[in-house]
Amino acid sequence: MMSWKELQNTSFYESPARERAIGLVDEGTFKELIAPIDKFTSPHLPVLGEAVCFDDGVVTGVGKIGTRPVFVISQEGRFIGGAVGEVGGAKISGLFQVALQLYDKIVDKYPNDYESRIPAVVFSFETGGVRLHESNAGLLAHAEIMEWIQKCRNKVPVISLVGSKVGCFGGMGFVCVATDLVIMSELGRIGLTGPEVIEEVMGKKEFDSTDRALIYRTTGGKHKYIMRDCAFLVDDSIEAFRNQIEEVLKMPYSEIASYRSIGSLELVEEQLSLVGLSTELHPKDSKDVWRYFGNENADQIQDLYYEDFMNSVKIRPRGGR
Amino acid sequence: MALQEMNFTFQAKGDYESIPEEWSHTGVVGSGDLEILLRHEDLGGKVEAKIVTPVKGFDDIWEKVLSKFVESNKVGNVVIEINDNNSTPFIVSMRLKQALAEAKGGIL
Repeated sequence: MMSWKELQNTSFYESPARERAIGLVDEGTFKELIAPIDKFTSPHLPVLGEAVCFDDGVVTGVGKIGTRPVFVISQEGRFIGGAVGEVGGAKISGLFQVALQLYDKIVDKYPNDYESRIPAVVFSFETGGVRLHESNAGLLAHAEIMEWIQKCRNKVPVISLVGSKVGCFGGMGFVCVATDLVIMSELGRIGLTGPEVIEEVMGKKEFDSTDRALIYRTTGGKHKYIMRDCAFLVDDSIEAFRNQIEEVLKMPYSEIASYRSIGSLELVEEQLSLVGLSTELHPKDSKDVWRYFGNENADQIQDLYYEDFMNSVKIRPRGGR
Repeated sequence: MALQEMNFTFQAKGDYESIPEEWSHTGVVGSGDLEILLRHEDLGGKVEAKIVTPVKGFDDIWEKVLSKFVESNKVGNVVIEINDNNSTPFIVSMRLKQALAEAKGGIL
């Protein structure tokens, strides 16, 4: 495996789960919890004759960024598309639980001075959602993770990272945007139904899953940034994601929470007004929406380099439209 | 349908060396790929290997690849555990070498 310093300049998009987890926290601080040596493999896959994996496709552990303990969850897309099964889901839920326990301990021990010490959870998504081999257990895992994210509210900041090969689809798409804020790279993709599934169900006219430009226009980082579905757009390197997490952890909790997209009446109304907009605007393509929000250069946006895009982009105003 | 499990024991001729750490893990169970867990254990110089794979009927080839790895790298007192997902013999021997190099702290 590469050294921590080499990892920093490595592409986040291409990095395996464990390397991402190690590189996202300070050098030498990552400690894996329920590591491969503990051999918690899926009980469902052997019955179906499917290969198993010692970490069940998700790396969980804890490290430090500055003074803050940071719990890291990192999904491995090469193992069954990063899909969440019973064991992997339990590992994720367990990590949230440990983070909250640590929060309570810290608040107990430093009642007047805990803000600079409270833990955070960082969740690096690379997944297609529920592992269909473990259907109900996988769904239940999603529900549990959602519940833990809600329990962490106003206590432990939960940060989503999306910038890996598989993207973040299926049920995990919901989980991802239910956190406090989302950090993406331009190569990251968030969606519910994946492109190939849409094509299979609705036909090639509805969505051509071989059209990569279309996929990135609809689910990619730049689009999500314009739509405020992601709070920060960063370059494709582990270091860029890491630096952004560091910046976020310096913010007071109220500022972190201001990037939430669900969880209050105002936010529900904001989302509903966007549904209203789509029925009025009848957009045929993401470019129509980009233009509506003031991006006259909608045709060029996809080809812009990161800096040029960040300097020229106009994002959706807060409050809907 | 169920997964195949194979167990082998090897003994390197002459000198042998274990891994410095208690355990070391390499690889991802991707399609056509495998993960390897090497564990230090006092087995009187023997090497124990356990392979879990969906592929049936290649036990002889697994044994040959592993025995060659143990012989040529002089490995001893190590437990090798492999989760495989349809990898070819070449990939297996390459990953085994990689696993040993990483276990010894070498950076490839």
